[in-house]
Amino acid sequence: MKGVVFNLLEDAVVREHGLLAWDSLLELAGLEGSYTSLGSYPDSEVIRLVDAASTALGITPGEVLRWFGRSAIPLLHERYELFFSPHKTAQSFVASINDIIHPEVRKLYAGAGCPHFHFHDLEDGRTGLAYQSPRRMCRLAHGFIEGAADHYGNRVEIEHLSCMLEGHPVCRIALDWSH
Amino acid sequence: MKAEALPLTPDAAATVERLERLVQREREGRLQAEAIAERGLRELYESQVRLALLQRITDCANRSNNFSEAIGEVLKEICEHMNWAFGTAYRVEGEARAVSCDAWYTAEPARLFPLVEATRERTFHSGEGLPGRVLRDSHPHWIDEGELATSFCRRVAAASCGIRSACGFPVMIADEIVCVLEFFARTAMIDKDAILLTVTQASTQLARVIERERARAALLHDALHDSMTGLPNRTLLDERSRAAFDRLPESRSGLAVMVIDLDGFKAINDKYGHHAGDIVLIETARRFDQALTASMDNQRRTSPTGWHGTLARVGGDEFVVVLDGVRGPAPAMDLAGALIDTLKAPIRIDEELVNVGLSIGIAHSGPGYTTVEQLRQDADLAMYEAKSGGHGGVVTFSESLGNERRYRMALENELRDAIREKQFTLFYQPIFALGEDRQLRGFEALIRWNHPRSGLVEPGGFIPAAEAGGLIVFIGDWVLRQACNATARLHKRLTARGLAASKLPYISINIAPQQFLQPTFSAHVQRVLLETGVLPELVRLEVTEGVAIIDPDQTRQVLEQVRSWGVKTSLDDFGTGYSSLSYLQNLPFDTLKIDRSFIASMDDPKSRKIIRAILDLASNLNLSVVAEGIETMEQGALLREMGCAYGQGFHLGRPLDEASAFALVLPESDRTGA
Repeated sequence: MKGVVFNLLEDAVVREHGLLAWDSLLELAGLEGSYTSLGSYPDSEVIRLVDAASTALGITPGEVLRWFGRSAIPLLHERYELFFSPHKTAQSFVASINDIIHPEVRKLYAGAGCPHFHFHDLEDGRTGLAYQSPRRMCRLAHGFIEGAADHYGNRVEIEHLSCMLEGHPVCRIALDWSH
Repeated sequence: MKAEALPLTPDAAATVERLERLVQREREGRLQAEAIAERGLRELYESQVRLALLQRITDCANRSNNFSEAIGEVLKEICEHMNWAFGTAYRVEGEARAVSCDAWYTAEPARLFPLVEATRERTFHSGEGLPGRVLRDSHPHWIDEGELATSFCRRVAAASCGIRSACGFPVMIADEIVCVLEFFARTAMIDKDAILLTVTQASTQLARVIERERARAALLHDALHDSMTGLPNRTLLDERSRAAFDRLPESRSGLAVMVIDLDGFKAINDKYGHHAGDIVLIETARRFDQALTASMDNQRRTSPTGWHGTLARVGGDEFVVVLDGVRGPAPAMDLAGALIDTLKAPIRIDEELVNVGLSIGIAHSGPGYTTVEQLRQDADLAMYEAKSGGHGGVVTFSESLGNERRYRMALENELRDAIREKQFTLFYQPIFALGEDRQLRGFEALIRWNHPRSGLVEPGGFIPAAEAGGLIVFIGDWVLRQACNATARLHKRLTARGLAASKLPYISINIAPQQFLQPTFSAHVQRVLLETGVLPELVRLEVTEGVAIIDPDQTRQVLEQVRSWGVKTSLDDFGTGYSSLSYLQNLPFDTLKIDRSFIASMDDPKSRKIIRAILDLASNLNLSVVAEGIETMEQGALLREMGCAYGQGFHLGRPLDEASAFALVLPESDRTGA
């Protein structure tokens, strides 16, 4: 996992729970916690941090990831405004993830294992988003999408049609931007 | 005593605050460091990728000799690199049009179909659409989502393909815009500086390909066109006429070849210089081209599937028009008339106005032809026929002309054999003083062809063919050498018999114009004189007025040179040709020969008046006169009365073989040894 994810998580935690909360979380997770955006760190460390937060806050790890995604969007906007400014809607922003944002991420962090989101039209008019990753972080994506909707002032309804966390081979998420 | 500790009452809260500020500063420092490093990484990555892309594009440009080959690959590379949906290119035609060159790339042809269809085969005028704007301003243009949805002229197609942004770039060669590149993306185009950098460099490579393509086209054009007039040259004409001939139906009808030669061109060149000649050729080519275009336009109004003509300059002052798709002889005749008309107005050369005439030969294809070259030869022949009339005009090739040509060609071949196998022989006709004693003063050497089947052939039967075939030079040289040799031998014998040098007969030798005007002619005469040992004073070179007409300056120079060695010069057939007094005045002749036609018609007082005038003229210019073709005693007597000093003819002595002729001057006892 790229260090920037840890930095974002730290920022989100600090912003919502104070400076010391991040230190507590690290302590809970039993981690040293020196992360820089330029480095790469084991995936397991993120999972331990999420699990620790889940325990501390009494919510599921999925809920932690969703909260993290949603909270990360304003932070990402501060750091990488250029990815946001060309878009007028959250839908457009989300649609650019594979073609713009992830290629950009790869420019910064050689070898970054960005997931691919397969966008498609669902029969009921909603947008389908298929996600498959050994990290199984569909809830993070969920949070990111909500954060994007917040940022652009749009509404989105998100439904998990299938989920790897529930033993499905692939996560399928339905996005309804029509409201 | 215990010393009191320093009153350091740590304010825990303040310390925490300080530490928090410290952490915050450290954090911000780290973020800044990361941001700086990230910027560097990003730039490094982008420049590496861009360099790799440009390397591929440069390689492609180096490999390609033509634009259409390179453009597809360049569009693909750029689109893939930029992750753009569709890229296409337009060639700039004229000054104000960008024409789609039907080169495009998209990774998803099916999805992009509407936009591809709305774009390929499109032409944008300056200012119109995205390509038109780039063309007008010669700089890149960007179209964002808002403009794309409202004012973009292909917005419906673009919207249906999910296009959100577009950009257009010029490809420049110096200040000239030669091509417009256009790209469409389904996302916004963000980093315009990077895009600009990349596409501009790709454009530079494309411009190189176009420049190379142009250089090749220019070379090709130069190879296939006459540099002076810009008309197709012989190579291109041959190519086109062969292709047209190969397309002919089985009947082989439908093709006409016109060979056009300028009359009087050489005189203009000689009089005013080559610069003037060039002006005439350029103006002639321009008027011909105009006339041809007008004729083609004219006939197209009546029949949409009319003929097509190719005008070419194939030699100095020779032009050829190949008419493809003609029905009947009318189009070629009409065009010939139009060409003659268009040259009726004089051509201005600086302050002078000059006129040139035309000799045009036409040949129509037909079942008898197997190659276009034969057709061309026949048109050539017809042109020569037109030219030989003296006043130009148009001659269409006919079967009888063809027969004549075949006869002449066969004759030419026989003449080649004759030269190789030495089938020629010289006869000698005595020339007498017309006084009482009728003294033999010289001989005229006359060639005969000892034809293996036909026997002795008179010059009239083969000299014209020899002249036409360029063989006269060889024959003439042989005559010169042979006559000088024979005469030298004769003189040697006569001198041995004690004859005084002043009594030795001279030899008169006919020199053909082609032979006389050879640059090496006088040197050749000198060599023959040296090698044969003949006395130069007893050699007379006879030329006709034709020589002087062709090139008066050279004629004078050659005459002066041979006379400086003692050789005498004689103007043959006087009175029949142009008979310009100025020639006589300016050219150094010793003798005039009155043409036989005046002698034959001496009964006519008009002829006698002419003879009288010639004799007076010769007397004034101090020239001796020989009358040719004296066939009766009366003619001889009359000429003597009129003051003509010398004569030759059947009445005086027929042309005889060497032995018989020379016997006339050798003592009786010597004759058998001749």
